Amino acid sequence: MLVKLEGGRIIDPAHNRDAVGDLYLQDGRIVEKPEGREPDEVHDVSGKIVMAGAIDVHSHIAGSNVTLGRQLMPELPLLAAAEGQPILPSPAAWGSYATGLRYAQMGYTTVIEPAMIPTHAIQAQTELASIPIIDVAGLVVLGNDDYTLNLLRKGDAKSDELKDYVAWTLAHSKAIGLKVINAGGSEAFKFNARTFDLDEQVPAYGVTSRGIVEAMQKAVADLRVPHPPHVHINNLGIAGNVDTAVATLKATQGLPIHMAHIQFYGYGKEGDKGFSSGAPRLMEAINKHKNATVDVGQVLFGQTITISGDILRQFDGRRAANPKKWIINQGDGNGTGLVPYKYKKKSFVNALQWAIGLEIFLLAGDLWRVLFSTDHPNGALFTRYPEIFHLLMDKNERSRWFDSLPEATRQVSTLGSISRELTLSELAIITRAAPAKLLGLTDRGHLAPGAIADVAVYTNRRDKTKMFSAADLVFKSGKLVVRKGDVVDVTWGRCYHVDPGFDSQIKRRVKAFYDTYYGADPSWFGVTEAVSDRPDRFATIRCAS
Amino acid sequence: MDSTLQRAAELLSQARLPVFGGLFTDVKGAAAALSLARKLGGVVDHAASEGTSRAARVMRETGATPASFGEVRNRADTIVVIGSMPRTRDPKLLDKLFPTGATLPRPGDNKRELIVVGSKKGKTPSGVRVTEIGGKNALPELVALLAAAVREGPFDIRDSALAKKILSAGERLRNSAFAVFVYDPAELDEPVLHTVLEAVRHLVKTTRAATLSLSAPGNGEGVNLCSTWTCGLPVRTSFAGGVPENNMWAYETRRLLKSNEADALVWIDALDGEEATPPARSFRGVPAVVLSSRPVQAGRDDVVIEVGAAAADHDAAVFLPQIAGIGMVKATAANSKKPTVAEVLSRIEALIDAKGAA
Repeated sequence: MLVKLEGGRIIDPAHNRDAVGDLYLQDGRIVEKPEGREPDEVHDVSGKIVMAGAIDVHSHIAGSNVTLGRQLMPELPLLAAAEGQPILPSPAAWGSYATGLRYAQMGYTTVIEPAMIPTHAIQAQTELASIPIIDVAGLVVLGNDDYTLNLLRKGDAKSDELKDYVAWTLAHSKAIGLKVINAGGSEAFKFNARTFDLDEQVPAYGVTSRGIVEAMQKAVADLRVPHPPHVHINNLGIAGNVDTAVATLKATQGLPIHMAHIQFYGYGKEGDKGFSSGAPRLMEAINKHKNATVDVGQVLFGQTITISGDILRQFDGRRAANPKKWIINQGDGNGTGLVPYKYKKKSFVNALQWAIGLEIFLLAGDLWRVLFSTDHPNGALFTRYPEIFHLLMDKNERSRWFDSLPEATRQVSTLGSISRELTLSELAIITRAAPAKLLGLTDRGHLAPGAIADVAVYTNRRDKTKMFSAADLVFKSGKLVVRKGDVVDVTWGRCYHVDPGFDSQIKRRVKAFYDTYYGADPSWFGVTEAVSDRPDRFATIRCAS
Repeated sequence: MDSTLQRAAELLSQARLPVFGGLFTDVKGAAAALSLARKLGGVVDHAASEGTSRAARVMRETGATPASFGEVRNRADTIVVIGSMPRTRDPKLLDKLFPTGATLPRPGDNKRELIVVGSKKGKTPSGVRVTEIGGKNALPELVALLAAAVREGPFDIRDSALAKKILSAGERLRNSAFAVFVYDPAELDEPVLHTVLEAVRHLVKTTRAATLSLSAPGNGEGVNLCSTWTCGLPVRTSFAGGVPENNMWAYETRRLLKSNEADALVWIDALDGEEATPPARSFRGVPAVVLSSRPVQAGRDDVVIEVGAAAADHDAAVFLPQIAGIGMVKATAANSKKPTVAEVLSRIEALIDAKGAA
């Protein structure tokens, strides 16, 4: 079937396009205008905005950590609905099914789950497969696991073993990339460390955080996995941690790195309260280090829960739990901490975090390297993205929020002096084009012929919150799934992963390791097609040769 | 087969409140049961949900401090086994928790110790120092006393030998580099679970501590997790009101049957090597659809469907304690033609959909 979207304003920054035109979809792909053929279906989208489906690079939507969060806090959707968010006041609003539907309504068509635990990959992939409409991919977590640390401790000639181990882990969990969370910090926590810095040594292993990240960068680069190591660096959430972020950038030595939810590292320690915006200094460093990309991890005021494999940080954060309940899950590898949290507008610190996130976006020299995220649900629930788009695109809206912040926050924040407003094209960069490029998903995030027909159509409104809350039309792989903000067809997407190849000896070694230390067999947690009943569930993306 | 499934669809589409019980099945079976229960406005429960429901409620109220099996066996220096169920459920538990072979580096340099609370110490691994805290006192009291000793709180019992042991155990726990409390939540009442959790939370202020909760039989954790990611709530959840509602008392299978609130039962018992205890007096009193991998005594009007046993007749994703998560177990029988629970329930759901559309 040939579908024509007629007369919309097509915004496709990957091809420097912002112009009125037509778009043709056929067999799940965007196609050139076919000569001598009438479309089977025409949608008049004149006056509307046409973009590629949005791509979320970092959103905790599935897996054992997320479901542990659901167990701890089934009331989260009820509280969120009470705060006025457009979701049903039902515990099910946080389930897999509702997740797919709500993302689609906003025009999102691809979402990355950023923290699959290797041994729990089957649960993560089973959950992902139960999320309708959107395509997905997962990042698998290494760097606090004893296998890696043991290899790095030895630091001997078998340097290819780490590369093989990373490749095996990616393949075994069907992941699209590697995640590293507070490298060495979670392992140090097992030895009762309560803080962990870039150059501190992991007890019993001797290796530093710097050493782990560097080794992972090298392994991933050698394997030519398109997505660089996706790194949650040390000292999250601590005043003065902008130093850590800058030091980590310097440590990368030009090798590709993605630094996650960087807002949580944009903190100085100036001023009476010992907490200040480090955003200008952070952005100066990020603008300079062209090998680095970041996603922001914007916060918004309201109730949420923080879910993180940075167990050391979460352990410290438990004291701020609101409501007062928390889980510290001392699992294999990283473990997890789950701490409910309410960002308050009246809080000096929360208000400044909010401002710092926006400063990061607005001070970006190159938006292709500063991607949109809230680190859902850590900074804010994904259902709130449209409010953030509004803040980025409308300085009056920003002022309206800013003026209601505590006096102390307004005095130290420079946000009020920034007049930049992101354009629709710039928004499309941080939510579409740049995420696709970063992930190596070359068939999306843009609207050129050959791209997957993931398309979102919006009514251009001054009220960007309203505009992006409910797309007029959303096509997923060419199928109309949303009309006037309502889901009209529940389709099922695919899961993208890499398979870089490895020396098969690693399998024997890993098997022996799990047998010795866990009484377990790695085959138990190997992801196969069987996690889904749909035969074309998985798609491999190429690692460049 | 088709007419049997048709009868099952007929029976269920006429039900006002069907309860999906047993649920000794793999994750796919659970997902299919949840889907059908949601469609019919029914209830989901699991035959071994007493412990998981308590644990779930404690978690909702105050949180949890679990450790994985791997972390405990590799790194704990003090393991407290509470009650008799952990070792009844898994006779080899202590051998697994105190491996004689190599372990990963662990914190501190204490020798590993075992503290047994409220049961006989029985056979214990050689080379491991064992303290038995038992006697005439009830298990909840012993746990409370131990927790008080951990906190160095007020402490008063007549049995001075026991008092000495408990105080010394409290001191040992405070001086541990990683203390872990092992229990089966089905054996402990909620207040006791809270007491253990608070003891751990006291210890973690200065050292490392955690709990290791024995997983429920019959893939209880796997089914519970699947329920949670599907509808946001664990088992003992009703879909009758449109919005799912969890209530560990109200939505328990036996109570629903006994009170006649449920007017149909879907009983699922299809895991290799484990058998769900059926509701009292076979299935009499309520029309039932029984999916079982073993012969079943059922009423004349009941619909009985033979299904394959998960992990024997077909590969199955189930909760595996060794990895503290859901893993895949390969089928042991080759070429079994028996249908899975998921397949049967999906076909019944399709038949019900077709009836609705007609």
